[in-house]
Amino acid sequence: MSAALALLQPALLVALAPLFSGTIAAIKARLQMRRGAPVWQRYADLARLFRKESILSTDASWLARATPYVVLGASLAVATWVPVLLTSSPMSFAGDLVMTVALLALVRVLQALAALEAGTTFGGMAASRHMALAALAEPALMLSVFTLAIGAGSTDLARISRSVAAAPLAWLSPSHLLALAAMWLVVLSESGRVPVDNPATHLELTMIHEGMVLDYSGRHLALLEWAATVRQMVLFTLVANLFMPWGIAFEPSGAALGIAFIAWTGKLLACGVVVALGESLTAKLRLFRVPEFLGMAFLLSLLALTSDSLLRAP
Amino acid sequence: MPLAGLDGALFAAAIWGLAAAALLPAIPSRLRVLSAIARPLAIARAGALAAVGALGLKGVAPAPLRWWPGLPGDPFTLGVDPLSAPFLLLLGVLAAVSRVGLALHVAFVLALAAVFTARHALLLLVAWEGMTLLSAALVARDTRSARARRAAYVYLVISHIGAAAIGLGLMRLATLAGSFSFSDLAVALGRLPARESSAVVALMSAGFAVKLGLAPLHVWLPLAHPEAEAPVSALLSGAMVKAGLYGLLRFGWQLPGAPPAGWGVTLAVFGLGTALVGALYAVVESDAKRLLAFSTVKHAGLLAMALGIAATLLRNGHVPLAGVALAACFYHAIGHGLAKGLAFLAVGEAVHAAESRDLERLGGLARRLPRLSVATLIATLTLSGLPPLACFAGEWLLFQTLILGLAAGDGSMRLLAPFSGAGLALATALSAAALVKLYGIGFLGRPRSEAAARARPAPAAVEVWLLLLAALGLAWGLASPLAVASLALPISSVIGPGFDAHTLAGFGGLTLSIPPGAFASISPLAVAALIALSVGLVFVWVALRGLHPGVRRAPSWACGVSLDARMQYSPLGFTKPLRLIFSPVLRPERELEILERGSPYFGRKYRFRSGVPPLAERLIFAPMVHAVFWVSTQARRLQAGSLHVYLAYLLVTLVALLMLAR
Repeated sequence: MSAALALLQPALLVALAPLFSGTIAAIKARLQMRRGAPVWQRYADLARLFRKESILSTDASWLARATPYVVLGASLAVATWVPVLLTSSPMSFAGDLVMTVALLALVRVLQALAALEAGTTFGGMAASRHMALAALAEPALMLSVFTLAIGAGSTDLARISRSVAAAPLAWLSPSHLLALAAMWLVVLSESGRVPVDNPATHLELTMIHEGMVLDYSGRHLALLEWAATVRQMVLFTLVANLFMPWGIAFEPSGAALGIAFIAWTGKLLACGVVVALGESLTAKLRLFRVPEFLGMAFLLSLLALTSDSLLRAP
Repeated sequence: MPLAGLDGALFAAAIWGLAAAALLPAIPSRLRVLSAIARPLAIARAGALAAVGALGLKGVAPAPLRWWPGLPGDPFTLGVDPLSAPFLLLLGVLAAVSRVGLALHVAFVLALAAVFTARHALLLLVAWEGMTLLSAALVARDTRSARARRAAYVYLVISHIGAAAIGLGLMRLATLAGSFSFSDLAVALGRLPARESSAVVALMSAGFAVKLGLAPLHVWLPLAHPEAEAPVSALLSGAMVKAGLYGLLRFGWQLPGAPPAGWGVTLAVFGLGTALVGALYAVVESDAKRLLAFSTVKHAGLLAMALGIAATLLRNGHVPLAGVALAACFYHAIGHGLAKGLAFLAVGEAVHAAESRDLERLGGLARRLPRLSVATLIATLTLSGLPPLACFAGEWLLFQTLILGLAAGDGSMRLLAPFSGAGLALATALSAAALVKLYGIGFLGRPRSEAAARARPAPAAVEVWLLLLAALGLAWGLASPLAVASLALPISSVIGPGFDAHTLAGFGGLTLSIPPGAFASISPLAVAALIALSVGLVFVWVALRGLHPGVRRAPSWACGVSLDARMQYSPLGFTKPLRLIFSPVLRPERELEILERGSPYFGRKYRFRSGVPPLAERLIFAPMVHAVFWVSTQARRLQAGSLHVYLAYLLVTLVALLMLAR
């Protein structure tokens, strides 16, 4: 049973990730009075890319070939211990919240290196921006992690999720809400969403994520795109199940899992609506305004930590 | 115990063998056949040193080597105890892999070994001075290079300030104890009143912090480390910096009564600052070896931070947590030593092949030097603190202690922990950006110079040694639970019996876990296996679907114009966003001059200069040098040149002395 569940949770994340990405795009299109592509468009894109030939630059080394596989592999590894339906996973001994953050950093570094392989300008530009913004996002992320971990007394994902779910009104504490706000900003930045990056265009000179995969094609591009959707799904699942673990199953029973599934999809859909609304209402920030955005995230997380240590009885 | 005999023999062989190898050039030239076997022998002795270190970790201590130098007092003694064992192990491995050959180089290794094993204060000072002088000689070996001469000069001056502090502290204790042996020194310190003993410990700690490269006394490190040849740089950054850590542990902490109040917090604050300074300057550095030296500064800061946090937690009474922080410190010292040694050796070979240290003139080396680039990539990813590699596990342990220390919620940790955590995250992310620059600009893309395009791989023997070291570094990361457990003896020799590092390794060494009620665990090995498994699954799936298994190679597309190596991002351009974002701190200088105007809009010829002048030199050292010059200019006024005035000085001095001595 537990082995089946160990496979079910990552399988859900991997299989539904393109759907989540397509759903956000569809909601956004509706909000902008467009018809837009169907929600399963991402699957069609991936299938098309997998059928196409893969071309690599003559200047690229073995790293460019290995990166798409390792990036997807690392994203899958994270997906095995993220609480999706059930708080605990058989793989939670392998990774905690810090490990999750660090594996995302591994993905980032590998992608930045691969972007420099072809020797073109776009790759370098995107890699340079990606590393710079990630450096600013990291402290905010770490302080949010601190706030969560102190509340639960552990960085273990299952424990955090369970401790927030067990105390019904704990999520209303100011430190929790501030940490959630900080985390939300960081997640927007990490998953390449609007105020930081524009996922909808290849043409903008301010692009980051799209610039890094510009020199990839065929199945390599498909793997990278898929990995990106999985990471986005993982990040939003973390937001949903660490900060608002309502309905998550504590024990693997059929009814609880069913409720957990409905709760999880509902929360993700809500996240998608908020993201789509935000993307329709705000414009992308100029690159050198993004540090202020991330600085705000840092300030929020610092406030979260401060209010936690002020309000908790010594 | 039968091992003890072997251990003593190995130790004696390593020390006397290294001494003999260092004296080799003194032999008359007709006996130079000896020099053919000198290098293999020196490498074997370095290996023996590593073996002594490894046995020391198991608690096997060889009989100390004694030597009577003809001075009054105790004989010079070299001995191995649990605290020196990990440092000896690291030194031996790095010396063996960097293939010590040159007599000066061997002598340097010997001096380092003596620093780690000395049991006699005077011998320690002699070895410390020998280590400094020999390394300065190795740094300035290219005497025609003005840069190398200046680096050696700055290094010598700052190191001697540090050595003076250590010497003063040790001599104060030695005069009190009437003996030079370490055990007597400890007793003497215990007898001092608390105020004076903490002053002595603080003085010695400041001296050792110079060697560790704590900001703002780090300025010598990025000057000196890159100027030496690659094998020496590897030893300087990998092992010699750790001598500072060793000194802090032995004389800052292990003595009775130490660490004094405030020692830990001071060290943690300076460590955090050092980590940030190192990472920030690594980002803006375009010289491959200097970039690595700044990365050493960052990691040295991390080590000081871990040590400081451990001491703070101990003072607050959290012994197990302090033990975890100390474990992070020891584990990271070795992990960083291995990775930085590898990085300097590999980058050194690449720089040699491409004939330039400037990233602006490298590129395209990954295709030309495939095995070397694998070693460099492993070192790069390790130093960036990425899982499942070595430096990550150390940082994870440190993050755990910060979180749990903050949750315990007393005293200075409440302020220290959040800023340490955020600062550590920032420093790690910045150094990742710096190392992406090193590998991405230096090794990937197109060659930026003729020499880089012509680069040829190093001899197979060199590459095999490098890959061996890379494998060791990988093993240290993947088996981090076992590695931490193996350091249990040194850790408990510092912190006492209240903590056992074996408890950090769970499930028979599969997971690294924090036992006291935290329940968080990671498993680098399982993560590596998961990634490998997923890669395998995806690979099989792609292959089974029969979807265009091959890859077609084509030239990169550059929007229709022919691609030029100069169209790639340059090292300067790559970190421009970070340079701009951090410009209030870095204060970069930039100068653009149009030499010849073509049209009203475009110049035909430009001169462009940019740089990031080191802030510590400008804010701290330049005013100091200025002050010294000002004082000496004022003092010159005393020299009026008239005999009467000088006689008056004599009279005044005499009267003053008489009044004083009354």
